[in-house]
Amino acid sequence: MSAPKSLRLISAFLLCVIFLLALGANFIAPYSYAKQFRDAPAAAPSAAHLFGTDALGRDEFSRLLYGTRVSLLLAPAAALLSTLIAGILGGLAGFLGGWWERAILASADLLMALPLLFVLLALRATLPLDVAPLISAMATFLILSLLGWPSSLRVIWAAARNIRESDFLLLARSSGSSPLRIIARQILPNLRPVLAAQFWVNIPVFILAEATLSMLGLGVMEPLPSWGNLLRGLENPSAFHANPWTIAPLILLILVVFCFQFILPSREDFA
Amino acid sequence: MTGSPILSDGGAVKRALRLFLCKAVWLVAVILVGGLFGATLVRYGPGYGVDERELDPRLSQASVEALRGQHHQNASLLSYYGHYLKSAVHGDFGTSESTQRPISELIHQRLPVTARAVLLGMLSAWSLALFLAMLGQFLRGWIFEVCSTLLTGFLLALPSTVIALLFVYFRAPVFLAVACVTFPKLFRFIHNLLVEAYEQPHVLAARARGIGPVRIFLRHVLAFAAPALFALVGVSLSLAFGAAIPIEALTDSPGIGQLAWFAAINRDLPLVVNLTLLVTLVTVAGNSLADYSGQLAARAS
Repeated sequence: MSAPKSLRLISAFLLCVIFLLALGANFIAPYSYAKQFRDAPAAAPSAAHLFGTDALGRDEFSRLLYGTRVSLLLAPAAALLSTLIAGILGGLAGFLGGWWERAILASADLLMALPLLFVLLALRATLPLDVAPLISAMATFLILSLLGWPSSLRVIWAAARNIRESDFLLLARSSGSSPLRIIARQILPNLRPVLAAQFWVNIPVFILAEATLSMLGLGVMEPLPSWGNLLRGLENPSAFHANPWTIAPLILLILVVFCFQFILPSREDFA
Repeated sequence: MTGSPILSDGGAVKRALRLFLCKAVWLVAVILVGGLFGATLVRYGPGYGVDERELDPRLSQASVEALRGQHHQNASLLSYYGHYLKSAVHGDFGTSESTQRPISELIHQRLPVTARAVLLGMLSAWSLALFLAMLGQFLRGWIFEVCSTLLTGFLLALPSTVIALLFVYFRAPVFLAVACVTFPKLFRFIHNLLVEAYEQPHVLAARARGIGPVRIFLRHVLAFAAPALFALVGVSLSLAFGAAIPIEALTDSPGIGQLAWFAAINRDLPLVVNLTLLVTLVTVAGNSLADYSGQLAARAS
């Protein structure tokens, strides 16, 4: 069941606003995310620091804006890569059939059988922990996209198989269309709704996975902020009591994931 | 009482056995491929072949050479994997690099803690999800739909680490945190399944005949939903084990999840790979068993 149109519009509007704020972090944020105010560690909100400062004296508002940018730009990028992998493999399995289909589906089932977080930990453990923050962010989302495709593949494969058995494809073949033309004119337009839906579904999944990994100290590394490592501020209850704005990243994360849940497009939107 | 249709003829028994064999072969294949994946990670992970014991000044040159020779024997991936499998069959999963203790001993100590949290968490999540999904079918109102969507949406939007922190603040048991992570996904699936089951023509016909709601639920709805529900048991096992890592790490519960996190932080690859294999074995076995029961139930109904 998709959400009412008004709710979807509000969600889309909120997401756009948050995206724009994140994109404009360089201009909106009063300070750099790494700048320390050593005379004001764990300061309460004030005119100079809207959301106060963290234990290392860094401006919480600036870190939130930059952290939002990291999470909101890299999660869709990872979702895009994951959907692309699933699209290519699912499409191949659906159209070629036979042993190709069996081998690709078996490998997807195999990956789905492994608990994602355990595999993430295993892969992340092979990488050094003391890498540059930007590389740690890239590595985290790259691992997520490389492991996140099997569930999408199943859906795309089912859609591709339906198209393979459809009458319009038979007609296109019998009328002498070349394979490339069939792919471009018949197959891809019909797969588009499924690919788009999988892309949207994967974004909040990757945002939450990054938050979990970073909170455990295995995701994006300090001083680069992301929602995950900003949430580590919640581990200290006294900091939260002193500055309630510590909860701002959590509120933003919940809001964004909620918006993604509501905005998920229905098939009719692509028709 | 008549016998089960599955056992009533030889063909059905053969089919059930073939299904069981397929599941068993799949289980073995997953373990072998999972093991190869793990062995590849360990073999090509940074630091493989470096043995701190070589730096021990008390060791003679011959002992150091023996240690190097030991590593040299497993230089190729396949020989390493073969050696690993052979030892694993005998219950030797190697030694943890960070704690210098046998991995089998660590698993033996911590598995019961996680098993208890996962099983109790699953039980709680299933009870609540089933109860609320059934309640939704009896109430059938938009208020219930909105409330349940908001509640499950909110829980799904919370990272499991944050749920774990909430349970630390409130000093609540770990299994409830596992239940809290597993419940929303279970509820949404069961709710949709029951909605679909109640829309089936035979259920509508039973209603039209004036059969009571409890009888309809037990005889018609459950029979329709049983295969999918059985499959969901396996999926929920995987979900609960996945949730155990962050929850145990943050609640300081001495289970497998905390050990996996500790191993990843310390880059203890042999430990993290063995734990991944163990959890894979448990979840795949659970999934296969659930699938098998579901398919038997489908054939029986």
